[in-house]
Amino acid sequence: MDEDQSEETTFVVDEITTIIKETVETTNGNNSYQHEKINQWMSSIAEISLSQLTKLGKPFKYIVTCIILQKNGAGLHTASSCFWDNTTDGSCTVRWENKTIYCIVSVFGLAI
Amino acid sequence: MCLLTDCFTMSNQPLPLSQETLAQFNRSQSTEPGPPGPPRRRLASISTRRSSKDHSKDHPHPRPLFLRAMTGPSSESSFMSPSVSTSHMSMGKRFSFAGWHQGGRVSFSGLYLQQPIQEVYVENTYRTGPEPSCRFSARRTQQILQATLDAYLEGVCYSADSCSQLCQMLADLVLSKLKDVNPPRYKLVCQVVVGQSGDHGVRVASQSLINPNTDNYTSAVFQNHSLFAVAVVHGVYFE
Repeated sequence: MDEDQSEETTFVVDEITTIIKETVETTNGNNSYQHEKINQWMSSIAEISLSQLTKLGKPFKYIVTCIILQKNGAGLHTASSCFWDNTTDGSCTVRWENKTIYCIVSVFGLAI
Repeated sequence: MCLLTDCFTMSNQPLPLSQETLAQFNRSQSTEPGPPGPPRRRLASISTRRSSKDHSKDHPHPRPLFLRAMTGPSSESSFMSPSVSTSHMSMGKRFSFAGWHQGGRVSFSGLYLQQPIQEVYVENTYRTGPEPSCRFSARRTQQILQATLDAYLEGVCYSADSCSQLCQMLADLVLSKLKDVNPPRYKLVCQVVVGQSGDHGVRVASQSLINPNTDNYTSAVFQNHSLFAVAVVHGVYFE
């Protein structure tokens, strides 16, 4: 019973990585970078990710950050720093790319 | 730090066992002439002498170790300086501190007496939300964030090797500054994106499932001729 409780209240990285990967692939697919459509893609990635995460039914607050970068030879770095409870909270980052875009999605889960 | 208070009451009750054992140590390990008075043995000095003040100047004094397990009463040892000996009487351990000094020997035979660790019980506050004056202030956080980015990235050029470290350092720096002004019961998530300025498009977006009454977020952007930086901070109330 203790294991079930701990499953419920800890951030499981693998499960969430899988969800996010599927979301990004279904949303972006093989699209090329189009400036007009980027807004729409990002909103749908974030929204679908969040709805999938809430379906897990865990007592967590989620923050989903999405970065879309056009492939142009330029460099990008991202870092995060968090002030939380290490035992219950966690984060995961998913990197996805196709021929013209890089997509980085970070999910932070904070236990209530 | 409530562990200390329990041991203060016991600080004046020496245990007889240690005297015997340490006297044995004194005999077996006397290798150099000591000053007049009790033998100046680091191993033995913990229990045999009540006042180590005359020898304190001979040794360097590492700060007394703060232990979770208070091992009961003991006198000051030679490495404790006079100024801290009274306040740290309860800190005395039964085992020797020789390991703290260069070339010291450590011995644990029969000296270590463990006391049970005192659990700290926190009472229920019955509070279900943040106090009105203790909410996450997006405006103040944004000011701090923008000021940090501007100050730190002024005149910095993008470099592929160093920017990853710069990015992590920025995230840690921002977090440390925000921790000072962070209201109680709030968790912080800070994300920093640093990239090279060029002819490409970048979009950074975030969406979160939070309680709008108690939680909030803020962001800041910095750009110069060679790089851009975006920092996003979320403050989440922890019930």
